[in-house]
Amino acid sequence: MNKLSSRERKIAYFVGMLVLLIPIIVLGMPSGGSSNGGVLARMRTERDLGEASLGRVDPTSATMNLLLLGLRGVAVNLLRMDLDHYKDHKEWAKMRATTESVIMLQPHYIEVWRFLSWNLAFNVSAEWDAIPDRFFWVKEGGKFSQRGTLRNQDVPELFWDTGNNWGKKIGRSDEWRYFRKYFVSDPNTAQFKGQADPEINPSQKDNYLVAKDWFITANQKEETRVQHIMMRALFRSYPARSTLDYADAQQRDAKYVTRENKEEEAAALEEKFNLARTIFAQAFEEWTQDFGKTEFQTSQCLVKMEADEDDVKALAKASNVKEEVIHHWIDHYQKVTNYRYWRERARAEAETDMAKAHRLLYEGERAVKAGELERGRKLLEEGMGLYAGMLAKFTELATEELTVEEGMWGVLIWHKALDLLGKPVPETYPLKKLWDAHQEMLPTLQDRYNSSSY
Amino acid sequence: MLGLSLQPVDFDLVAGLVRWALAFGVIAIVSIIVAIVTSFAMYGAVGPARVGAGLGQAVRDFTSISARRVLAISSLTFKEAIRRKALLVFVVFGVLFMFASWFLTGDSNRPELDVEVYVGFVFTAVSWLVLPVAMLLACWGIPEDIRVRSLHTVVTKPARRNEVVIGRMLGFSAISTLIVAVMGVVGYVWIVRQVPDSVPLICRVPIYGNIQFLDRTGAEGKGVNVGDIVEIRQFVEGGSKAAAIWEFPMPAGEPEKLRLESRFEAFRTYKGDMNRTLRVRYTLLNPAKKIEVPLPVFNVAEFSQNELDVDRKVEFKNEKGKVETFDLYKDLITDGKLTVKVQCLDRGQYIGVSIGDFFVRQLPDRSFAFGYWKAMFGIWLMIILIVMIGVTASCFVKGPIATLLCFCMVVLGQPAHDFMDKVVSGKQVGGGALESVYRLVTQMNQTVPLPEGGLATAIQTLDRVPSETLRLASNVIPDLRSFWMAGWVGKGLDVPWAGALLPSIAVTLGFALPCILLGYFSLILRELEAK
Repeated sequence: MNKLSSRERKIAYFVGMLVLLIPIIVLGMPSGGSSNGGVLARMRTERDLGEASLGRVDPTSATMNLLLLGLRGVAVNLLRMDLDHYKDHKEWAKMRATTESVIMLQPHYIEVWRFLSWNLAFNVSAEWDAIPDRFFWVKEGGKFSQRGTLRNQDVPELFWDTGNNWGKKIGRSDEWRYFRKYFVSDPNTAQFKGQADPEINPSQKDNYLVAKDWFITANQKEETRVQHIMMRALFRSYPARSTLDYADAQQRDAKYVTRENKEEEAAALEEKFNLARTIFAQAFEEWTQDFGKTEFQTSQCLVKMEADEDDVKALAKASNVKEEVIHHWIDHYQKVTNYRYWRERARAEAETDMAKAHRLLYEGERAVKAGELERGRKLLEEGMGLYAGMLAKFTELATEELTVEEGMWGVLIWHKALDLLGKPVPETYPLKKLWDAHQEMLPTLQDRYNSSSY
Repeated sequence: MLGLSLQPVDFDLVAGLVRWALAFGVIAIVSIIVAIVTSFAMYGAVGPARVGAGLGQAVRDFTSISARRVLAISSLTFKEAIRRKALLVFVVFGVLFMFASWFLTGDSNRPELDVEVYVGFVFTAVSWLVLPVAMLLACWGIPEDIRVRSLHTVVTKPARRNEVVIGRMLGFSAISTLIVAVMGVVGYVWIVRQVPDSVPLICRVPIYGNIQFLDRTGAEGKGVNVGDIVEIRQFVEGGSKAAAIWEFPMPAGEPEKLRLESRFEAFRTYKGDMNRTLRVRYTLLNPAKKIEVPLPVFNVAEFSQNELDVDRKVEFKNEKGKVETFDLYKDLITDGKLTVKVQCLDRGQYIGVSIGDFFVRQLPDRSFAFGYWKAMFGIWLMIILIVMIGVTASCFVKGPIATLLCFCMVVLGQPAHDFMDKVVSGKQVGGGALESVYRLVTQMNQTVPLPEGGLATAIQTLDRVPSETLRLASNVIPDLRSFWMAGWVGKGLDVPWAGALLPSIAVTLGFALPCILLGYFSLILRELEAK
């Protein structure tokens, strides 16, 4: 038992409280007016950690976090369990609403934004069977990620995620044909009247071009804040890669070009392949100039992907290392980013003959499929000739799988056409070398041919 | 709560009554025996006589109950609740609804998905706001009366203890009714205002049936498990003889059109034709007359309503290309039952079905308000039940303890109900309490059977004691799952009578008599001078 009276104890408590107030004031005093505030307020300002400096302030979210005091973590845990429950039980509306509740409590948790947007765009969309439904959920994921960038305006990862969703998810899913179409002409015609959803694509652009815009912004953000999702060189390659993907998508789209009239169809095909060629030319510039000339810091030196001997010497001098070291790192970075392949591919695809070769091979295939064997044979032979010329010119591509496959497929169809025409396969023909060198691909291609509706 | 799909389970009233009578009888008899033994131990031979006298007094009190006095007490209770600022709950309610739309950011692209969220919010808000108010009022009423000695002025009047208990229950129920009614009206208006005009707010009336499965060979079997974490749907293989067959009890009357509505799930083992969803066909069956009438094939709209109208005269082309016509009521519905076979037509693909996924939709639809108020009635029943339990608890313990007891029974007891049911029914993997301890100590997996022998027999025999105690507890702790009917309303369906309303009413009434009796005897035995 202490010997203090009740009054003395109260005075002691009061003094204790006053003493404890001192560090609280020193540490926690808010800034305002002419005052810079306490230690925490100053650190918050110095490190851009204030709510307003992180991104757009959502009063609802801020209110919720304030009301929950220290129980935010508990509340989030409960909500996440609910979210999983709804997902397992396929209660999509409730799951979507719970997603909003979670992010309201954790508006600056980057991984939470990333996971939840992925969850909507990839996991939930896959649960639906109809493609318009799947597209809706892909949009939900992308929109969610876009909102994440508003709340966290300096986080490059979220900008990259958004670009990735609009680029890769839309353009490379199994449903890419439909997704790409829906991206510029939303299936919800009642609401969007055949136009794109303005929230994701206000300028009615191709998905890869929208993705490119997001990747460019991500790169801008990355200049001031480090990203933690991939090697920097890879991260910064995405705008140029988007242009490459955009060009590639034009070639893929060409295979679905159909017109009532044959001449019109041929003209449309030519136009599509020429468009792809033009974009590849632009992509080559972006890949070799914008991305290729960007300098990256390795553990030993500065490097850039597109460097001639003078550049190598300058880089070696700047980093005070031998030229071999620079060559080593350039080679390493080029391999990681698949730089040389894309450079060669873009250069080759920008050639008029290459575009023509693609078109002729494809037109020939279509003609054979339509039973116009003689016309198909001629088109294929012409296409094979041009293609062989291109492979001779761009030797690095001659071993690349997709390039080889296209050539092999053309020759296979040509063989079939000759067979149906009752003509022998000549001793020599364009792409014979390629055909002989890649016989291991034949069973797969033959299966594809058998399952096609020839 | 409603899970992946609505699956109404009809309440068996007779079985429920028998179970109630058994539980009530056993508890009553055990209580009387305990009372006799205790009184004998305390007062000798006079004790049992006193117990008998008390029971006689109880019979007299209940047979001469005065409605006037009960109403007077309930009226006082109502006024007292208002004086204790129970209606302040409306302030919280108002604030919640003022800012609800901030937190429930709907998607303008798919407003139909949001109806369920809005409905769920209203019902959750009402139940979670009224529940603590009702619980606190009910649990603190009588103890507070004892503390301030106002109960003395009542019990010294001609009012009997049973009238006090019933009056209290009625009074608190009345104030809860007022609160639920006002909140219900506000909630209804709020939902109607939130949902855009393009989304119809309706109440479809389903007729559910029984389901059985045929496997890929056409023999009776069950559906396939495709690996869903929660296995509520079974999957029917497409392009085979596998099927799900529903048998619907048809109501009287012969409308010209019958609407079949389904909500199936698709599961693909390969991508197939991505541009169209899986194809499904219904076939109307009359096994007695060996008639099979295939209806037009349709593509499944997943997690949505697939509607197909069947006219009274059903036509189809048979295998020979000849058009055959059947009368729905004369040829296809027999003994008041309609049998429909559901098959997936895409080979290697599957459709997921559960019993509630397919029903006959009675036309015309009812108004949304009809289903809404039925579900609100469920919330009201739950509150009344809580009031009864709270008042009863307050008759034998003080306010804080009564609140804790009520909270445990109503709030904590619900998640535990599933577990108790599993343990009692022997479905819990890993066995009972002792078996679990044995498995923990020996680090034995739950799914591994116990080694045969005396030890296993002893463990399982001893486990019956806690298991039977749990059985009793599962009878005493009310099962409130059926009271939550918002899931039906959110999905635009009518609340089923036998699957939701009847069990809720039965549970509430089932608790009324035991609660009144327990409250009465507790108040008789309670020392009112003890604060």
